[in-house]
Amino acid sequence: MEARFEKYISYPIGLIIALSIFSAILLAMGFNPILSLEALIKGSFGTVFRASETFVRVTPLLLCALAFLIAFKARFLNFGAEGQLYIGALCAYLAASQMGGLPSILSVPLVVLVSFVSGVAWLAIPLVLKVKLEINEVFPTIVLNFIAILVINGLVTGPIKDPMAQNPQTRTIPPATWLPIMIPGTRLHVGLIFAFFLAFLIYLILQKTVLGYDIRAVGLGPRAAKHGGIDFSRNIIIVGILSGGLAGLAGMVEVLGANHLLISGFSPGFGYQGIAIAALGRFDPIGVLLASIFFSILLIGGESMQRATPPVPIQLIYILQAVLVLSVLIVQEFLTVRRQK
Amino acid sequence: MTDPLTSILSGGVELAVPILFSALGEIYDQRAGVINLGLEGIMSLAAFVALLVGFSTGSYLMGTLAAISVGGLMALIHSFACVKIGINQIISGLLLVTLADGIANFSYVTIIRLSGVPRASVLKPINIPGLSQIPVLGPVLFQQNIFVYLAFLFAIVFGFVLYKTTWGLKIRGVGENPEACDAAGINVNRIRYLCVILSGVMAGFGGAFLSLGYLGLYGSGMAEGRGWIAIIVVILSGWSPYRAILGSLIFGLGYSTAANLIGIGIGVSSYVLQMVPYTMALIVIVFMFKRTKGPSALTVPYRRK
Repeated sequence: MEARFEKYISYPIGLIIALSIFSAILLAMGFNPILSLEALIKGSFGTVFRASETFVRVTPLLLCALAFLIAFKARFLNFGAEGQLYIGALCAYLAASQMGGLPSILSVPLVVLVSFVSGVAWLAIPLVLKVKLEINEVFPTIVLNFIAILVINGLVTGPIKDPMAQNPQTRTIPPATWLPIMIPGTRLHVGLIFAFFLAFLIYLILQKTVLGYDIRAVGLGPRAAKHGGIDFSRNIIIVGILSGGLAGLAGMVEVLGANHLLISGFSPGFGYQGIAIAALGRFDPIGVLLASIFFSILLIGGESMQRATPPVPIQLIYILQAVLVLSVLIVQEFLTVRRQK
Repeated sequence: MTDPLTSILSGGVELAVPILFSALGEIYDQRAGVINLGLEGIMSLAAFVALLVGFSTGSYLMGTLAAISVGGLMALIHSFACVKIGINQIISGLLLVTLADGIANFSYVTIIRLSGVPRASVLKPINIPGLSQIPVLGPVLFQQNIFVYLAFLFAIVFGFVLYKTTWGLKIRGVGENPEACDAAGINVNRIRYLCVILSGVMAGFGGAFLSLGYLGLYGSGMAEGRGWIAIIVVILSGWSPYRAILGSLIFGLGYSTAANLIGIGIGVSSYVLQMVPYTMALIVIVFMFKRTKGPSALTVPYRRK
């Protein structure tokens, strides 16, 4: 009972700390925090369209957070979701742009598969290094993020750039490969349902299957896994494939669902935000789902704040997010340690 | 105008500097048992602060002091979260990157609106009399600005303190066997606190060099991976400040080669050339990380039983 109380009390405390800092900064800059918060809430839920935009943004965030979560359960720290997302988006674009002649029922699943596989491929080097040489995955995954972003920027400014466009972006993909829209007049596509389904699937895998048990056992370390007769390498490879694949799918939903093209810098750090979301949601698929909706509200609301007069830079939202997650983690840990004493 | 080789080498020494500064602090930090992954963000934030304060006071010294103070302050958050409270150091470090980058970019956008783009003229090189006249070697080693000399001097001092003094022994001790140190009456968490703050201060020097000693400007994400590469250098050098000099030079050369070849224009896409340091990092990880073994208590918070 006490443990459950600790679990939840950290959220209001963290939110109060984060909002206080947020308001203090706004006041110091000469803004009215109440008006800014109002703009934030109206911007993310004020109209059907704004609310739909919030849920459009939930999709890649949730997929990236799930990507980090599933690997984290086996203590495989995939910091490379950002890179895998970009490569997944690139391959989704390349595949989709070739499939104009195919009916949706064929082309969409094919592109989904391509993006999943390409996300996994971008994680292949760190995964092999981890399994074969026991090299920590944190640094290779991060370095590959920088390379992936350069690959995308190099391509969308040159070889695959739409010659008619001003911005570094590609042509639009064939409409037959677009993900169906759920509410007419918005960009809300079925990717959201797909992501919710995957969150539920991962919940089932972790809680109800032998694989989930094995993954959690591997998370206790190679030695513990060996004691329990569980194949460490095999399970690391499985979570690696799921993790890289989910991040690849996050790139796919942005191309096939939200934007219908590939644009330089389309991800404002979804991969890194996914890590913060996973931590905020206590590495639990349902918690992560709620946390990604919350992050999305902040981001979409923040974009409105940036368009308001006077404009508040969106970067304030990133500060708010980091402070929030740090405060929540600190309060949680503090309460847990105090109880154990 | 210098020839391309000299300018690549000279740039290599120069660009080793931000990596070396940050790696030195991180070596102490990790030797004491805490990993600080926040360097990338701290470096960018420090670069911004150095530029802003340097620009408004007209003093490079004030700019640098402000940068290292802010670096230390950011690291203080990390040490509170990880040393005092004991949350996951990897996650905390990553959040620190987001936080520091967020503060830097938010302030930059706001400042531009209020008072225009802050700029500083890059710190002038100090020519060492006599030595700077040697062909090739002179311009590469002895026509650099004060940050460059300072970074290499720090490396030697850091190495000496770590290996030859009681302080160094204590730092290594709390990272290897905190229980024994505690039993011997050493305040484990105080040493860790100080080392984490030091890692932020050193990344602050790295950032100050980037804006005041190299670019004269701020740009979003201007650490360009150097914070991460500094940590890779820490592992590559086996947690030794002396060997970190070599590790930093290797990556400095990588960044310099890319920058110089882009400047010359050799018909290869600048995006491909910018990949040079990252590709080098990947190669280093693949071939050099197999045998490394870090401090035993790295990332393990210390609590009295």
